[in-house]
Formats: sequence, structure tokens, C-alpha cells
Amino acid sequence: MKPAAYIGILLLLLPLQASLLAPLSRIGLAPDLGMAVLFVIGLLTTPVEAAFAGIAIGLLQDAGSASLLGLSGLTLGIVGLVTGLLGQRMLDIQSSSNVVFLAVFSLTGSLLTVLFLDVLYGGFPVLGPFFVRMVPRAAATAFTGLLILRFSTRRSVLPMIRRRELQKER
Amino acid sequence: MPGFIDKNRRYLVVLAVFLILFWLLTLQVKAGRFTVLERPVLAVSGFFERIIAGTYDGTASVVQGYVLLVKTERENRHLQDEIGRLRLENQMTAEIQQENERLRAAIGFEKLNPPHSVLAEVIARESSPASVTCTVNKGSSSGVERDLPVITSDGIVGRVQAVLPGTAKVMLITDPGSTIAVRVQRNREEGLLEGKLDRCALKYVSYYIDVQQGDVLVSSGLDGFYPKGLPVAIVTSVRKHESSSFQTVYADPIAKLSRLEEVLVFRK
Repeated sequence: MKPAAYIGILLLLLPLQASLLAPLSRIGLAPDLGMAVLFVIGLLTTPVEAAFAGIAIGLLQDAGSASLLGLSGLTLGIVGLVTGLLGQRMLDIQSSSNVVFLAVFSLTGSLLTVLFLDVLYGGFPVLGPFFVRMVPRAAATAFTGLLILRFSTRRSVLPMIRRRELQKER
Repeated sequence: MPGFIDKNRRYLVVLAVFLILFWLLTLQVKAGRFTVLERPVLAVSGFFERIIAGTYDGTASVVQGYVLLVKTERENRHLQDEIGRLRLENQMTAEIQQENERLRAAIGFEKLNPPHSVLAEVIARESSPASVTCTVNKGSSSGVERDLPVITSDGIVGRVQAVLPGTAKVMLITDPGSTIAVRVQRNREEGLLEGKLDRCALKYVSYYIDVQQGDVLVSSGLDGFYPKGLPVAIVTSVRKHESSSFQTVYADPIAKLSRLEEVLVFRK
């Protein structure tokens, strides 16, 4: 992707998630905007580029919250790499059914985070939050990912965010 | 082997970065959370959050003002009545307060001085899977400092984690990094309340200590961060295990953390 697109994403991701999507967190439906954006990056770029994008977005999320620096960086880095590999093997990256993978990634990411925190601090309930918080969040993230995917793969938008050499590669 | 490395060099670099991140995590488990990037990120995100929150509030208030204009006159009349009633109540309260002060002086009590506080507006709420924080629109220029307690009229909300001149990040009491020294209001038993993302858990409660569902937990002041006696959480479940010498006690925060709009930052 073009550097300008990355700068825009990194500058606006946290404020958009924290300000505009905050009202949705009251009803437990705030999507993970970082993961949704990363999923689209993974589908549109290479695995290595998506992995580094994931690490950058994750580190930004860690620094902007109270969590351990590197926790989201590692999680989103792995998600970026896997999405990139997935994107290389997909016949149609614009297909709506692709966001099922995003829901699975979101759910797995949330589960791994809670398990990590449980190992670290102990006493973290998993089953209750799984249905109350993680599943609705995964659904909201998948829906957001679908909207971003639809928007970014439009013929008028794609050339603005994608590097020319990558367009030739595809 | 060299062929494999050359072919997969970029993937190996990614793998190396993953290992470095994992190493960073293990370091923080021992040494505590790294806060190097905290202030720069807060500076950038806080700037955009203020713009977005300002635009959102401005638009909302214009729309709301227009829609509610029709009701204003009726509300105005109602409020005039309310003011009259409150004036009367205020006079009565002043009388009671004076009487209270006289009685306190008579029995040698010290006058209670409420701590200075700063009213701040919540402009953003971060919802990372691993932490629970929010951003407020007051910072060091208003006297806000790191580690100051943040409350609402219901109870304790959290404490200031990072500060810039016009913005501060607040770690809520449900954040995994949050710990508050509390007492059970009913029987003064002590414990440590830790954040568990959706709720809190009381740690190191002996099997034999009497904690019941519905008990109110108040701050004990022993942690050095929070003032003594403020409501913190209500016990929602108590589980005793025969195999353990401790109980598992979960509690929900009394302050409505998902609906925070305005908070008070206590200044020392």
C-alpha cells in the first residue's frame, strides 16, 4: 500500500475507534477497527507487508491503551501474516464470505488475549465474556471489515491506496 | 540452507520481529509495563480525539437544540418551580450544616475538607481486548497529574495513567493493570480489588473471611492512590473451593463505566 495510506491509517485509527465507535461499546458492539483494517490490508497486499502493518497497528493500540507493549502488536502481526497468506490463495478477494475469516481472527485474538492475561494475572473468566463480549465484537468487526473491503476495492479507491508495482504483480 | 534463507529472508525477518515482541512481553511481566510510546501516542490521538469529539458534540447540540426548542418554554416553567423548591431546600440544608458544624465542634471532630477536584469530560473510550481506558479533556494545565484518582458521583472510576497539557488518559478500575485496596463496608474486612476487563475480582480473600453477595466494597486508602471511604464495587459472586485457602470473589463497579460522560479528578 502507499505510504500516505499507512500514515493516514496510523494517525486516524485510534481516534476513530475511541471517539466515533465509543457509543457502540455501551451495547457491546464496538468493532475492532484495527483488525478490520488490517484484514483488508492483508487481502490487498503481501503477507510480509501485512505482518508489519499489523505490528505497527498493534503497537499503536498498545501504546494508546494500558496493555503491555507488544501484546496487540504480536497478535495483529500474526493476523496480518495469516491474512496475507490467505489473500494470496483466494480466487476472489472481494467476496463477502471472506469476512468469516475476519470473525474467526477476531474471536481467536480475543480468546488468546484473555488466556494470556489469565496466565499473567490469574482469575480471568473466559466463558462469560466469550458470549457476552467476544462473539458480538467479532460480528461487529466482521461487518466493519466487509464495509471497508467493499469501499477499498471500488475502482475509484483502489488505485489511491495501492502501490503501482503491487497492482502490476497482481 | 543458504538457499532457504535467501528465499525466505523476508519471512525470517518477520519471525525475528515476532520473537523480539514476545521477548518484550516477558520483560514487561518482570519489570512492569513500558511507557515509552505512551505520551507521543496520547499527544497525536488526543489531538484528533478532541477534534472528533468537538465536531460530534457541536453537530449533536445544534440538532438537539433545534429539535428541543419546542419543549423549551414548558421546561423553563418547570425549572422555575424546581429552582424555587431547591432554594427552600438549600436554606434548610444550610441550617442543618451549621447545626452539624456546631455539634462536631462540641464533640471535637475535625472539619471535613473535601479535596480539590477538576471536572473533566470523557472525549474517547479505548476498547482494546487487553485493557480498559478512556481519555478526558483536562490535563496538566488544569492541575491533573499522573496517578490522581478519578471518580463520579457513584464511585471510583480509575486513576490517571498519562498526562499531557490538555488531555489525560485514565486507566479504569476494570483494567487488568488496576489494583485498589478496599474494605468490605459491612464488616471492614480488607482485600485487593483487581480489574478483570468486564468486572473486578477481590484478591487474597481468606476462605474464612465473611464476604457475601451484595456487599459494598469501599476504598481503604491503604494503596496511597485513592482516598479512603469511596464506594468502588458491589460483590456479585462468591465461590469457596475446598482445595484452596482463598475464595473467588467477583464484583461489579458501582460507577457506570460504560456510560461515562463527566468525571472528577481529585487533586492532592
